[in-house]
Amino acid sequence: MTDREVFLNNLATKSGRARHQLADNPLVPVNDLPETTLSGKSQDELLEIARKNSEGVHVTFQTTTKAELPATLNAFIKAKLVDMKDDPYQADDHNHLLLPTSDLYADFGLESWKQGLTDPAPTYWKPDASREENIQTAEHAGAAIAFADYLLAESGTITAATTPGQGRTFHFLPVHYLAIVRKSRILPRSRQAMDRYDPMLKSGELVTSNINFITGPSNTGDIEMVLVVGVHGPLDMNYLVVEDM
Amino acid sequence: MKTASMIRNSDHDFLTRVKESEQDKFAQKAIASAQDAQWVKREGARQELGNWEDWRNLGEQIRQHVVRYLPDYLEEFSDNVEKNGGHVFFAQTDVEARDFIVELAKKKQAKHVMKSKSMVTTEIGIDKALLEIPGLDLLETDLAEFILQEDDWDEPTHLVFPAIHKNRDQVREVFIKKLGYEGDNDPQHLARFARKVLRERFLKNDFCITGCNFAIADNGWINLDTNEGNADLCMAIPKTQVVVMGMERLVPTLKEAETMDNMLARSAVGQKITTYCTFTNRKTADETDGPEDFYVVILDNGRSNALGTDFEPILQCIRCASCLNVCPIYRHIGGHGYGSIYPGPVGSVLSPVLEGNYDDFADLPYACSVCAACSATCPVKIPLHKLLVKHREIMMDDLHQSQLIEDAVMRVVGLGTGHPSLFRPALGVAHTGTSVIAKKNPQNVKNLYEDGKHLSWMPFVFGGWTKERDFPDPPAHKDGFRKWYKTHKPVEADPKVAAHTAQRQQEIKAEKAKRGEAQHD
Repeated sequence: MTDREVFLNNLATKSGRARHQLADNPLVPVNDLPETTLSGKSQDELLEIARKNSEGVHVTFQTTTKAELPATLNAFIKAKLVDMKDDPYQADDHNHLLLPTSDLYADFGLESWKQGLTDPAPTYWKPDASREENIQTAEHAGAAIAFADYLLAESGTITAATTPGQGRTFHFLPVHYLAIVRKSRILPRSRQAMDRYDPMLKSGELVTSNINFITGPSNTGDIEMVLVVGVHGPLDMNYLVVEDM
Repeated sequence: MKTASMIRNSDHDFLTRVKESEQDKFAQKAIASAQDAQWVKREGARQELGNWEDWRNLGEQIRQHVVRYLPDYLEEFSDNVEKNGGHVFFAQTDVEARDFIVELAKKKQAKHVMKSKSMVTTEIGIDKALLEIPGLDLLETDLAEFILQEDDWDEPTHLVFPAIHKNRDQVREVFIKKLGYEGDNDPQHLARFARKVLRERFLKNDFCITGCNFAIADNGWINLDTNEGNADLCMAIPKTQVVVMGMERLVPTLKEAETMDNMLARSAVGQKITTYCTFTNRKTADETDGPEDFYVVILDNGRSNALGTDFEPILQCIRCASCLNVCPIYRHIGGHGYGSIYPGPVGSVLSPVLEGNYDDFADLPYACSVCAACSATCPVKIPLHKLLVKHREIMMDDLHQSQLIEDAVMRVVGLGTGHPSLFRPALGVAHTGTSVIAKKNPQNVKNLYEDGKHLSWMPFVFGGWTKERDFPDPPAHKDGFRKWYKTHKPVEADPKVAAHTAQRQQEIKAEKAKRGEAQHD
C-alpha cells in the first residue's frame, strides 16, 4: 500500500497547492438554504406536512395520544401478527414481536402495557446478548416496534441512532415495522436533525456508531423500473406520532 | 500514468459497440422510457424544493472546496477513522486496492462475502479477484447487481439502474436457470423470490464490502444511500467491513453530507432523500451488531490526473447519473455503447482521465452533440460538455491524435483555407465539381426536397453524414455564391411595403411612449 504521506504529497504536487491551508480557508456556505427551507412552521403545520409526505412514500401514518398509545399499539400487533397467522412469513417462523430494551417505555407510559403483552409474548433486543442471538431474534420478528428520535416533515423520514438496546438490524430484519415518535420531535428537514445529532456526538452526550434515516419501506425499481416494496427490509412501514407529550 | 485498467468493459471498438446497442431494441426502449420518467420525477422534486439554482451553487461550492483542499480533508478523515478504531489504507492504483482486500479476506478466512452496489468496487474489479479464493462465495446484494451476477456477471449499463437493459422475461429466465424459480414474470414476485434467496445469505455473511456516498472528514464516519436497505444489512451483520471510496468522496461535516444527500436523491431518482440514508462507523463497545473491524480503502487510480488541470471539476461528481438521464447520446447507444463502467457524459469525461491517456476511450469525447443538457442538469455544476470539448482539443492540438483520417483531411482544409491564393480557386473547383449533381432549378427552401433530388449515400468519410441525414443537391446556378454576390445589386424594396413598415414603426413608437417605456431606437 502507498504510504499516506506519499499519497497526500502527490495530490498536493499535482494540484499545485500546498497542504495544510484548510484551517485558514474554512468552508463558508454561499447560502443558508439547508437551514431556512421549510423553517418557521408550527408543530401542527409540521405534523400535517409530515403526514402528507409520509403517506407519499407508502407509510401508514397515525397519530395518537399518550393515553391511547397502548391501545393503538395493540391494534398494530393484532393487524400484523394476531390476525395474520396464515401469512407465509409467519408460517416460515417469522412470528415474534420484537421490542427494544429502552428507558423510553416509562416516558411514554408503556411499562404496564409491556408487562401485559402475551399474544404473542414479546422478544427483546438485549444489550447483553450476543451478536448472533440478537440478529436471530430480529430475523424471527414478524413485527417490530421501535423508538425513533425524530420525524422529518419534508421527506417523511424517521431517524434512529443505534443504541445497545435497539441495534442496527432491528430496523431491517422484521417483516413489519412501526416507529413511535413524539410530536415535539417533528423537525422540518434533515438539516435540523443534523443540528441536533452533531453536537451530541461531539460532546459525548450521544454514544453511537450508526444513525439511520428511514423513509418508508425498502423498495426497488430494478426490474423494468416497476416499484416493488420490501425487497430487503420490512414489507411495510408505520409511523405513530404521539401528540400530547 | 495508466492505472485504471478495469474500467474498460468491452473488447469491441466504438462503432461495433454502437451497432450492437442499436440492435438491442428493448434496451433502447427501456432507456428512453427511463429517461422520460426520470425527467418528470427529477424536475418535479427540484421544483418542489425550490431555489434549485441556489442549491446547485451550494453543492458546487461544497464539492469544489473539498477538491481544493483534498489532502487536508483526507488527512483529517483518516485521522478520525483511526481515532474511532478503524483502519485506513491509501491505494494509488486499482491493483493495490484489490490486493489489499483479497489479502484481508484471506487473513480473516472469509467464506461468505457480500457487497452493496458501488461503482468504485467495480472499478477495481474486486468481484472476480475474490472469487478466485477457494471456498469463498460472493454475493451482490443490490437487486439489479444480483440479477447481473446471476446472469454470468453481465455488465451494468447505468450508474443508478444497472440492469435497465433487461426485461422481466430475461430476469425470470435467469432466476429459473440459476436459482430454480418457478413463478411468473411479475416484478413483485421476482423481487420477493430474490428477497428470500438474499435473506438466507445475509445471515451467513462474515465479511462485507461497501462503497461510500460521502466520507465525513470531521468525525471519520461514512454515509451510504440506498433504497433497498441492502447496504445496511451488509454492514450490520458481519464482523468485518471494508469501505472502498474514491479519494474525492469527502464532505467536511455531517451537515454537508446531509445537503449532498438531499441533492443526490433528487437528482438521481427524484426522491427527497433515499429510503435508507445511513451515517455509520465502526460499532461501539456496547453495541451488538455492526463491524468490529472497519477498514477504509481510499483510492486514487488516476483521479489525481485531474488535479490542477481543466478536468479538476470532474472530481466534484456525486454519481447521481442525472447527466445520463438527459443525454441524447446515452439514449441512443445505452450504457454498453461507451465500453466503460462509467457511461454517459460523466463517463466520457472521466474514463480518459482515469486511464491517463486516450488509448481506450478516445472515441468517447466525440460521442457528444455538445447540447450541454448534461451540464445544465448537473447538481454540482460540472461543465461536462466543455470538458468533452477540452478532451477533443487536447487530442487534436496537443497530442495530434486524429480520429480516423479526420486529422489529415483537416490539415488539407487548413492549408487551403489559410491561403487566399488556394482558397479562391478551390471554391471554383468545388462549385464546378458538384455541378454534375446539381438541381436543375435554382435553390430555394420550397424546392429543397419537393423539387429536387438529394443524396442518401456518399462514399468515403462523407458516408458518416449520409448514414444519418440526406445531402441536398447543390444549386444549379452557374456561379458560386461569392461571384454571384459581386455581380448583383441589392433589390429595391417594394414602395408599398416600405411605406407600411414605416407607418407601423411610428405606431409602435407612439404606443411605447404612451406606456412610458424608454425609446431605444
